[in-house]
Amino acid sequence: MAEMWISMGPQHPMTHGLWTLKVKIDGETVVDTEPDLGYIHRGVEKICEARDFTQITTYCDRLCYASANTWSHAYIYAAEDLLEVEVPERAEYIRMIAVELQRIASHLMWLGAYCPDVGNLTGLVWCLREREMMMDLMQELGGSRMHYNFPRVGGVKRDLPIGFAMRCKAKLELFLDRIQEYEALLDESTIFLVRTQGVGYAKAEEMMNHGVTGPNIRAAGHNYDVRWAHPYSVYDELDWEPAVERSSIKGSDCYDRYRVRVEEMIQSARMILDAFTHFPGGADTHYSKEDDKIFTENIWGKAPARASEGQTGFHHFEDSRGESMFYLVGGGEERGKHPYRISIRSPMFITIPYASKCMIGYKIADIPAIMGSFDPCIGETDR
Amino acid sequence: MAKEVSAAQFQAAAEDILADITDFGDAVQAEIRNHTGGRRKNAYVYIEVAASEWRNLAKWLKKSKKVDHCSMITGIHWPDNSDATWQVVVHLMRSGVKNPGFVVSLDNEDLGKKNPKINKKMLKETRVDIESLKLIETPLEFEISMTIPETRTPSVPSVADIWVGADWNEKETWDLVGIDFEGHKGMRRVLLPHDTPTGYHPLQKQHKLRYHDFNEMYDDAQGFGRKPEDSGRVK
Repeated sequence: MAEMWISMGPQHPMTHGLWTLKVKIDGETVVDTEPDLGYIHRGVEKICEARDFTQITTYCDRLCYASANTWSHAYIYAAEDLLEVEVPERAEYIRMIAVELQRIASHLMWLGAYCPDVGNLTGLVWCLREREMMMDLMQELGGSRMHYNFPRVGGVKRDLPIGFAMRCKAKLELFLDRIQEYEALLDESTIFLVRTQGVGYAKAEEMMNHGVTGPNIRAAGHNYDVRWAHPYSVYDELDWEPAVERSSIKGSDCYDRYRVRVEEMIQSARMILDAFTHFPGGADTHYSKEDDKIFTENIWGKAPARASEGQTGFHHFEDSRGESMFYLVGGGEERGKHPYRISIRSPMFITIPYASKCMIGYKIADIPAIMGSFDPCIGETDR
Repeated sequence: MAKEVSAAQFQAAAEDILADITDFGDAVQAEIRNHTGGRRKNAYVYIEVAASEWRNLAKWLKKSKKVDHCSMITGIHWPDNSDATWQVVVHLMRSGVKNPGFVVSLDNEDLGKKNPKINKKMLKETRVDIESLKLIETPLEFEISMTIPETRTPSVPSVADIWVGADWNEKETWDLVGIDFEGHKGMRRVLLPHDTPTGYHPLQKQHKLRYHDFNEMYDDAQGFGRKPEDSGRVK
């Protein structure tokens, strides 16, 4: 049969955003693919060159609309590396809670978007219901619902509200119960299993060579997780293990990538619940910004407001979708407080080309199942 | 059991790289640097390499030192510095321990359901002891810097055949900064539109934002009074 190219996107439910997947097909079989990105390129890197280090946080929030907190934290750690700032331990714990809540919310958003892709509409409403709980908790921390602007260079915006620990524990325990409902809903649904098992195999070594990280590579059995391999924050003091799926010899399929994210949500909840048992300063006390518990005292006095020219800072960060990274170059005296250059590593920018190649050999109907299982987010991809 | 890699392990792994890298002579200058922020000041390897030697170094890192992950490639434009107008910065990682790694739950019955051939006997404890990692298995960060003197056609060798992950990073660097990569197949616009004029690369410093000067921004926060510097010119 004759081969032909068709365009899936930019408006297509498979894309989970705005991009085009050009697919070369032979009958129903995918022969070749080519992704076309850049539809929502906003030039964040260029904009940030004219903003100071505090203003950039809001732009980083908007990199990914499903996982805002992880992106602003990824930036903050790099900025602290550039400006040589240390953070109080209590602030690190609060940051960890914000990031892990966001990770759960992001994975729920992913699962909610993935279920309709593979023919399970119930999953969508259930996941959004649970995500609502996580967003309520993050709203208590940051004040807004989607873009929190929560971390600061040297600390966090404000301390845990009174009673946050109690509400957070109750919601996470409810969430852990409901995870079992998902497992009952999806793992025993024939449609879900048929569409995900044995589809979209990806091998760990291949993925590592392509730069694919995060849950996608852990689904294939490679235990690479920035949180232990290039440690930051307080993860060593918490009770958790990286979620790794034991995949078959052919690599990980879509089902493995679903399992690893469910497992990762459980691990994140476990981490937060454990943090409340030994929270520095007590989880039920509320400190104001003047106490140096949540904010490095006299931050701009200690840290140089202007990074010297050529000075660099970078930080690898475990985002919900893989390893994200910010690389900052200081501007020197003349250029004011803003960085000379800011460069962002987006995990999905690297993963989407790889995921597109994973589809070769499968049918057109498998494309949404395979693409969705990699958790694409176009906000961060196009920056 | 330790939960994560310690500072001493990073230091030892970085020293191991530095001891072996002297074979390259003057073309490669390496040093150990430490992160300066946050709770940990872990060591990483900083390497300055001549562009001509970059591919040899990359092959050596990949083969002898098992650096398997090309994290990011980016470019910087320094128009005021004629000796090093263009800089290419590469961040590499060694991901460290390979499969099978941690097994989350040995009693996970789903595994049995999914593939009845995998039983608990096969899933014996394979937890990695992080404290006794070999040097070659220790995760490590690398920052590699290359500079190019003033030229209209900056270019460095491509490493997309060594790490496939470098492919799209190099495309992006050319698209936004305008640094070309010799030997890269299929260079094209990835973030900018396909019909962007040849030679337009927005992260070069001659292209200025409306708010490029920090103080002006507060004089006219909305920017009504001013236009971009290249206003009126065909873009």
